[in-house]
Amino acid sequence: MKRFNKLFLTVLVSSAFFVSCSNDDDNTQEARGDYDGGLFIVNEGNFQTPNGAISYLSDDLQIENDVFSLVNPGKVTGDTPICIVFNGDLAYIVVNASNKIEVVNRYTFKSITTITTNLNNPRFIAFANGKGYITNWGDPLVTTDDYVAVLDLATNTISSSLISVVEGPEKIIENDGKLYVAHKGGYGQGNSLTVINSASNAVVTNFVVGDVPSGLVKDNGTLYVLCDGRPSYAAPETAGKIVKVNLSNNTIASTLAFPDLTHPGFMDINNNKIYYTVDSNVYTTSTTSTALPTAEIFKAAKVSTLYGFAVKNDNIYIADAGNYQDPGKVYIYSLTGTLTSELGVGILPNGFYFNN
Amino acid sequence: MTLKKRFAFCFLLLCQFISAQNDSITKLKEVIVSDVNLKKYSSSQSVQVLNDSVINKNQPSLTSLLNYNTVIYFKENGLGMTSAPSFRGTTGAQTAVIWNGININSQFLGQADFNTIGTRDFNSITVKAGGGSVLYGSSAIGGSIHLNNDLQFKNEFSNQVFFSLGSYNTLSANYRTIVASDKYSLQISISRNSSDNDFKYPGNTDQRNTNGEYYNTSMNTTFGYKIDSKNTLKAYSQFYDSERHFSLTSPNGSKTKYGDFNTRNLLEWESLFNRFTSKLKVAHIGESYKYYPSITSELFTYGKVETSLIKYDLAFDVNDKIKLNSIVDYNRNKGYGSSIDNVKREIGSASLLLSHSPSDKWDYNASIRQEVTDNYGNPFLFSFGTRYQFTDFYRVKINASKNFRMPTYNDLFWEGSGNPDLKPETSYQAEIGNEFFTKDFSVSITAYYNSIKNLLRWVPSQGGGDMWSPENTDKVRAYGAEVILEWKPKIANNNFTINGTYAYTVSESEQLIGGELIYKQLIYVPYHKLTGAVSYNWKKFSSYFQYLYNGDAYTTPFNNPATKVKDYNVGNVGVDYDFGKKKSYKLGFQVLNVWNENYQPVTSRQMPGRNYSIYINLNF
Repeated sequence: MKRFNKLFLTVLVSSAFFVSCSNDDDNTQEARGDYDGGLFIVNEGNFQTPNGAISYLSDDLQIENDVFSLVNPGKVTGDTPICIVFNGDLAYIVVNASNKIEVVNRYTFKSITTITTNLNNPRFIAFANGKGYITNWGDPLVTTDDYVAVLDLATNTISSSLISVVEGPEKIIENDGKLYVAHKGGYGQGNSLTVINSASNAVVTNFVVGDVPSGLVKDNGTLYVLCDGRPSYAAPETAGKIVKVNLSNNTIASTLAFPDLTHPGFMDINNNKIYYTVDSNVYTTSTTSTALPTAEIFKAAKVSTLYGFAVKNDNIYIADAGNYQDPGKVYIYSLTGTLTSELGVGILPNGFYFNN
Repeated sequence: MTLKKRFAFCFLLLCQFISAQNDSITKLKEVIVSDVNLKKYSSSQSVQVLNDSVINKNQPSLTSLLNYNTVIYFKENGLGMTSAPSFRGTTGAQTAVIWNGININSQFLGQADFNTIGTRDFNSITVKAGGGSVLYGSSAIGGSIHLNNDLQFKNEFSNQVFFSLGSYNTLSANYRTIVASDKYSLQISISRNSSDNDFKYPGNTDQRNTNGEYYNTSMNTTFGYKIDSKNTLKAYSQFYDSERHFSLTSPNGSKTKYGDFNTRNLLEWESLFNRFTSKLKVAHIGESYKYYPSITSELFTYGKVETSLIKYDLAFDVNDKIKLNSIVDYNRNKGYGSSIDNVKREIGSASLLLSHSPSDKWDYNASIRQEVTDNYGNPFLFSFGTRYQFTDFYRVKINASKNFRMPTYNDLFWEGSGNPDLKPETSYQAEIGNEFFTKDFSVSITAYYNSIKNLLRWVPSQGGGDMWSPENTDKVRAYGAEVILEWKPKIANNNFTINGTYAYTVSESEQLIGGELIYKQLIYVPYHKLTGAVSYNWKKFSSYFQYLYNGDAYTTPFNNPATKVKDYNVGNVGVDYDFGKKKSYKLGFQVLNVWNENYQPVTSRQMPGRNYSIYINLNF
């Protein structure tokens, strides 16, 4: 059983970084709560143990771990929180193995409600048209029950009519009233992208982008899809690639292929530059370049298990899951690879969510 | 210290019970034990025998029996859920479970799940601390647990019925019958255990244990036939079927369940020729599991392994003092499952064992084993032990051995992740035991050191995406001390039996923390464990109290102090009255977790608070 769980975990581990935080609306005003500004870090905790937690890192680099339980005594974040995504004044924490979404005020972190219905292995959430769209894997061995759930943001209830999609919907991102769902594959390996129209809640199209699409970032009318490639345990093994999808016509514009059987980890885009990782190495290239660089910017030497990645405001943020059991760490580097901060966080930190 | 106070409190409480005399008269009978070598070659090690009167007072799982009566620590994932031992600071797969002389650890996991072994099907359960790989093969590193069915060749027809009903609709039933003459002997035991296991969490909460229900059914048959004065045939058979739902740790989590089906069959032919005893054993062991990751779906993952083995043991008594055994065995298993292709494994071994008693006060034994397989190297093992009695109340035991654990089916063959190049874990260990004893009192104090290398661990591999695979990584050094005490005072008609065990355990592996290698305690190995049991008999009443203390334990490799599992004290009391005149008809009542301790043996795995059961135990 133990061994099974370990394997299970390997399949479950999410690659995570924040995909759709932007829209800075800051005109310097009074803080709207203790957690205005700064960033949140999602710590998954151990699978099948409700010890996930949200850490908060303020702009002056003060860390506070497990803010959800601190602000809301008697409540726990739960078993394997995957992401925290903002919409208006609210933040939505999707907790995978607990089958729930914790809704909180993004500035005070006070609990608004807990949503538990019509969720089955929920993964990520995005917003469009006053609704939240949550990807769900369904039952582990059933390949035909995966869906996107629709959350009414006014009532905080999830409609019982679920949008059925192909296996393993993972990252989801909104653009112009449409939702783009990457089918990383769930318990298997996927290779496609689904587009959903939020006006009709119907699937517009589904097309192949590449093996194991794990990351989605939109930038300048283009959707960048990071594909990990099929891993060695799921033959035939394939190399990863970065696929650029033209958002105006939903077609693949171009592809950047990784050499040999390289499997990239994470990707982010900042100031017209793509940043990505392979093992503990960080690479960068222009969004317009047609080939990937051969040399890394730097190797994050202290990191043993790179488990989360983001680039923002001239900083590179790296989450280190360490041995998967002890509390992890967060490292902040300059864009050239100078380590500027090292912070202790929760167990299995998986991503950074900037609160502004 | 709260521990002491509680101990005293319960002792007092116990004495208020009106209690009764122990009426068991031990008759000398010809008992054929299933595993003669266990006694013959363990004289220099610490051995504890739990007979059926102890077994009957405990809950029917092997976890519960050993938790309350031995130094072994259990990592139990909630009541009835998966349970792994840590014996002398070793991992779950470093304790061997031996059924009538045959190793039955799972081929998939290398370890036995101690909540899938019922105790009431056996006449006695023996706990042998320390290395035993020469006799018992893989996994006998921390120690071994021996499940024994014994046969008696004398005219007998007897029946035993045990039935108990407890909180959370917990049911435990066992029927055992013995039919025997001087020519043949048959023993059949059937057990059934089930529980809704939906207890309310102790403390100020409305939360309940959800999806924790389980059942298991087993049947154990032992048959012996004396062909003539020199030849005996023996057959042992066991079937075990269980289904467990796995308790949720999050109220809205996905519900899962797990099924086990195990069969064990052993046929043995024993012949005596002068000073030779020849034993030929043929056995078949089947193990299979099904895991349903969602109880709402019919889909499951599974695995199945079938093992056939043949073993020949020739014993030669050179004289009364020098005894030799030579054993060869051949073992072949086939396995397959949802993540394991059809694979085969063949293992052969040859052993030589010597036991010699140069005088009444001194004996020693020495043994070697060579293992041959194509899967994981060919370990050579040895054991040497000696015992010397200095006075009529004091003796010393010394033992040193090399032991191993082979990589499991999952380690070697798991689709895509298995690593065919693994080495076995190897252990070199030594121990010294001091025993003090009088007619009704004994205490043993044993200190040991165990160095284990090539520990098998599943680690994430670099550059493989989400890939984990097994490697021979860590080294472990485990050392500690154990005290085992038994005292049977008798004051007029009042019979007491007092048992206690205490273990101090350090078990460390090197961890790379901030660029430095630092020794850290293994996870789920507490430094302290204490057990106590008092039983008191007066005429036809008997009462008993059990106590368990587990010290706090780390749950992370770097020993994060914030996430330790807390220490806990648990006590159980029981009382029964025997209505029988010639036969025994007992009616009893038990209170488990008397002071409603709120504890979690594993992070977030809650155990029940105070709960009750009534039972009948009829012998006729």
